[in-house]
Amino acid sequence: MLSVRDLATAYGKIEALKGVSLDVAPGSITCLLGPNGAGKTTLMLTIAGVLKPRKGSIRFAESEISGLPPDAIVKRGIALVPENRLVFPSMTVLENLQAGAYQRKDDLGADVERVFARFPRLKERAAQQAGTLSGGEQQMLAVGRALMSRPRLLLMDEPSLGLAPLVVDEIFRTIAELHRDGATIFLVEQNAHMALKVAQHFFLMEQGKVTFSGNPGSLAEDEVIRRAYLGSSR
Amino acid sequence: MALLADLVQNTLDGVALGASYALLGIGFTLIFGVLRRANLAYGPALMLGAYAAAWASLSFHAGLLVLAGIAVAASIVAGAYVERLCFAPHRKGAAAAAMVASFALWMQLEEVAMLAMPRHLYAFPALYEGGPLEIGPFVVRVDALLTLLAAVAVCALLWAILYRTRFGLAVRAVIDDSRAAGLAGIDVPKIFMLVFALASAIGGLAGFLIAASHEQVTPMLGMWSTLKGMLAMMLGGLGSLPGAVLGGLALGLIEAHAHWFLGPQLRDFLVYLLLFALLALRPPWMAGARHG
Repeated sequence: MLSVRDLATAYGKIEALKGVSLDVAPGSITCLLGPNGAGKTTLMLTIAGVLKPRKGSIRFAESEISGLPPDAIVKRGIALVPENRLVFPSMTVLENLQAGAYQRKDDLGADVERVFARFPRLKERAAQQAGTLSGGEQQMLAVGRALMSRPRLLLMDEPSLGLAPLVVDEIFRTIAELHRDGATIFLVEQNAHMALKVAQHFFLMEQGKVTFSGNPGSLAEDEVIRRAYLGSSR
Repeated sequence: MALLADLVQNTLDGVALGASYALLGIGFTLIFGVLRRANLAYGPALMLGAYAAAWASLSFHAGLLVLAGIAVAASIVAGAYVERLCFAPHRKGAAAAAMVASFALWMQLEEVAMLAMPRHLYAFPALYEGGPLEIGPFVVRVDALLTLLAAVAVCALLWAILYRTRFGLAVRAVIDDSRAAGLAGIDVPKIFMLVFALASAIGGLAGFLIAASHEQVTPMLGMWSTLKGMLAMMLGGLGSLPGAVLGGLALGLIEAHAHWFLGPQLRDFLVYLLLFALLALRPPWMAGARHG
């Protein structure tokens, strides 16, 4: 469904991605693990069109999408739930959801109801400003906002970041539910233990390169976790 | 009693004056809120609009409504020129580069006005020919009243656009977080352009109203408008639209009272002193801290 080949992205002279290649199969949860600074967020932002790659290709559903602006990527059917959620703080919960469906011109009512059914707490707070929500609620809103564009591929960058353990459980329950309902999910996570429980496939990334690819059973979990946090060279 | 009468009269004058400042402040704030950039060429662009209207008035005695249309249209064209040249190329980072570029265009637009119409001062038709309204002991200029009405209408229209349309939803999303807006599927560069056009149109209307109530245009209108717009925005808390309206009115009131009680020299001094105090103390309603 998504296939990334030899992708390189740089911030000025600093190369954050040094030739990344990976695939995400349709209908799967694929997880990207790795220590801080490995380039995971850079990869997400490059796929989503926020950063322009220096070279390489990103193919989605058989067509090249690298270098397209973010709104064109959304139109193709990819939505990113960004790191730190980035909800629109001065807008209401409902308006945040409406903004997520900006590309669509049809009736949003059914989709809003579907998001509210999945996250009942958002419904209670529909008229509240998003900036007043708790971290967990903002994460749910960010997921709901991304779902409003009816993506074929959902990218999630560190959805559990800074959340309490109970809320993290809830987020991962949501991820599993979305997958059961047919979504394809490409997930970046620091919480390797939780991520390996839901993923069918995972990649390890270190210093701008993919260093390991496998199924959750293919490498002992403590070994994955060690390499995800510390890198393989240490 | 005389003091009270003075206070009331000054307040009436101040609100009238503040209405045009409020319009300038709204235009300036829209651009600042969306792009996070100070557009120093904002005043000169609307000055060019007022010049185009003055030229049309001198050349074929066009009516006031036509002149307003010309001022708005020419301001939009000048604003689009500024946006393409200063702000579109410097979208990511480089806030200082964009501001300096807008300073260069300020100089350039002023030169264009002076080359096209080389006399320092051109007459502009009055908004209203008759005398002022007298309400008891107080006097209100009709053109000031019309400016106030226009400002109220613009605020209402802008509110409706921002809170009742799909375009407004996108604008508010971009103001809140332009990266997240792009990720939500909003064409952010297009919103930048449209907001610039909207702000320029409001600026053009303000330029027309100011020129028509002063009954003249000079190249100084450019710098004057940038300054008043920026002051209104800063007094109103940097980036809030209702704040810009209040800031504009406050600026008008302060100027009117200071002019009467302290004289014209101390008037501007007092305004800048107040601005300095606000920026130094950063009271809680100033949102500037959040925007960096």
